[in-house]
Amino acid sequence: MYKIARYLLGPAFILFGAMLPLALPEAGELSLRVVDTVAPDFTARGITLILPEDGSADLRIAELNMQQRSLRNVSIRCASFTLSTASAGCHGGNLAQLPGMILEFDYRFGTGSWQVSAQLHNVAAKQLATLLPTAMPLPTQGELSGTLRINGDASGVSALDADVQIADAGFSDASGLHAAEKLRGTIKLSAARKVALWTWQGNIAWQSGELFWQPLYLRGGHQVSASGSFDGALLKVEQAKVDLPEAGHVQFAALWDMKQSALAECTAHGSNLGLEKLFADYAKPFLEKGALADSSLYGHADVDWQYRDGATQSLHLTLRDAGIADMDRRFALLGVNSEIDWQADAARTANIAFAGGTLLGVPLGSGQWAVQMRGMEFSVAQGVLPVLDGQLELRDFKLHREEVAWYWQFAASLSRISMEQFSQAAGWPKMLGTLAGSIPKVSYDGHEINVDGVLLFNVFDGTVAATQLKLADPFGRAPRLSGNLNMRELDLDLLTRTFSFGNMQGRIDVDVNNLELQDWQPARFDARLSSSAGKYPRKISQKAVQNISALGGAGAAAAIQRSYMRFFENFGYDRIGWSCALRNSVCAMGGVDNGNGGAYAIVKGGGIPAITVMGYNRTVSWSELITRLKRVTQNNVQAVVK
Amino acid sequence: MNAMIKLFVAVVALTVALNVFAAADLEVNTPGVSAIKQSMQARHAQLAAHYGSGAVGLTSDGLIALRDAGAVPLAQRQAVNALVAAENNDRNALYAEISNANGHPEWQAEIRSTFAQRWVQRAQPGWWVQSGGAWKQK
Repeated sequence: MYKIARYLLGPAFILFGAMLPLALPEAGELSLRVVDTVAPDFTARGITLILPEDGSADLRIAELNMQQRSLRNVSIRCASFTLSTASAGCHGGNLAQLPGMILEFDYRFGTGSWQVSAQLHNVAAKQLATLLPTAMPLPTQGELSGTLRINGDASGVSALDADVQIADAGFSDASGLHAAEKLRGTIKLSAARKVALWTWQGNIAWQSGELFWQPLYLRGGHQVSASGSFDGALLKVEQAKVDLPEAGHVQFAALWDMKQSALAECTAHGSNLGLEKLFADYAKPFLEKGALADSSLYGHADVDWQYRDGATQSLHLTLRDAGIADMDRRFALLGVNSEIDWQADAARTANIAFAGGTLLGVPLGSGQWAVQMRGMEFSVAQGVLPVLDGQLELRDFKLHREEVAWYWQFAASLSRISMEQFSQAAGWPKMLGTLAGSIPKVSYDGHEINVDGVLLFNVFDGTVAATQLKLADPFGRAPRLSGNLNMRELDLDLLTRTFSFGNMQGRIDVDVNNLELQDWQPARFDARLSSSAGKYPRKISQKAVQNISALGGAGAAAAIQRSYMRFFENFGYDRIGWSCALRNSVCAMGGVDNGNGGAYAIVKGGGIPAITVMGYNRTVSWSELITRLKRVTQNNVQAVVK
Repeated sequence: MNAMIKLFVAVVALTVALNVFAAADLEVNTPGVSAIKQSMQARHAQLAAHYGSGAVGLTSDGLIALRDAGAVPLAQRQAVNALVAAENNDRNALYAEISNANGHPEWQAEIRSTFAQRWVQRAQPGWWVQSGGAWKQK
């Protein structure tokens, strides 16, 4: 504001300082030519002052340059011009370039004090564009009305008052990244200088219109009133109140370091702020794409924030029925109530109560966690998260921030959760059994999530152990998971019923070693499926035989249908074995043993009636195998023989 | 004579260089490449309207740019900015992934420029493309 005021004032300073009567009066008119004026950011050439006898005056400037702006034939006409040994003044002045504006100026030769004021009556904002620096967004539409007054003396501007109404104004910079349309509101500003210290107060009431200031997009309804001071280096906001539509009021005081372009100090307070609007409008646009940027906040909060020495010193947060949920509702935590008194240099405990939530569609129950806080270190010694009919018990959860990255770790155990409920909630095929397991230590170092020890689950009446699990770039675009999965004694009956594969009875061990998923798609693994050791009933149904055969291609299934085997519903078997080594989207397959030549046994017969299912293809493309598997489990293969 | 030898050497060098590069498989398929392509395909539906309006154009370095923000309503400008940034992230990742999958990370610049030409060729009439630093409507 100060800079703009100086450009507008420029002519007033210099005009009276360098007036030289060079031209002779003619026909009752006094014409004065003024020397060309050159100042650091201002030059004026071809200045003429014509004083007709009626007391008016005409000031013409052939060429006016300021802030890389060049104006030609500037003409100010004063309806009444007074000039005495004590003062010079222009009243009822008109600037040809700005119709609708009435200028007054007054200059005292003795004291060097001066005043310029302007009355604006629906001045087209677009016309101001020629006076403003090209680097700023320039007005494109709308009208301005109101008053501007600037006072000064030999030492420069000493006071500034503005009361301007804006109607349907718009502006834009060349890139269109700082632009506004249909702005309506009022701006009031008054500032006064004593020696080098300015004190100021202002009020902006923005009623309607829209503003895009990359990355923020805001609509009218905002109001700011503030007062403070400015000493040339520090801008002090002593008291400011901001009304944010649908979010609430925020009061703040701040100290802004102009030289460093940085916030030196700030205290802010807001009561009962609407978190949904506050986050969506003022925080989300600044977040890079990621889990948080795709989330919404809910509920209300009281906030007290203190910032000093380049860091937050304290944050007092009262959450009332707050919540967070991501866009697809994969994750949500709702009904959060807490009183959090965080201090940068003191230990505090916050009790955080939550009513419930969801994780990957699975409902979570209510709970209360005691979070220990010490600066940027947060920990939870023990926390219980109800999951369906069981619970996840979290131990030694630790979260801390180093440089720009967050690190965290925890151990957990999962108590018996019904697989039937869990699989339904997660949108998987209905599974039977219970889910229980222990998670020894999971840690995140800013790049990778690592699981130390063995992640153990009980499913399908058997066990699943995951080892050397590592998830790289977990929150990035293409997460990479690696590890080994070793399953023991899974109940084939439960498994085949779950995936509608055709009934099989028995137990199998499955190993998936050197597993690597890229963006959750298998990129490589060495998988082996084989009958578990021990004694148990081994039966395979007609339909399962057909389905296994169908996985090997259509021909094999047809061969079975034609054989005498179709007279039996169930068969006995001795061993089941199948392996797949996935490399470059191709699965290299094998059976119970390495087989003979091209063929290998997938089911080796035993008992009566016995059946042996052979595989003939050694390689199959992964996508083809998945297509066949889907076709089979979706029951598209009809059991022709009944 | 000397000039002839130089020309000959240059032609041989160029041929060798082109042959080496011709070995790059631009259609190489890794899970990384297919994830990026899927993400780009999903985004294309949203971007197509902005290519058509001239708000977004194809640059000569195989990326896209917001060339006329004024063609986008204020309320959607940030969303378009984000689309452009996400698309450029994917395109940069695609060039790196393809050159890595070919076992020649140093081919990235050539792969990028080949793709840049390909995008421009495939651009629909009326879309804006950058050539020699200036925007032209195809």
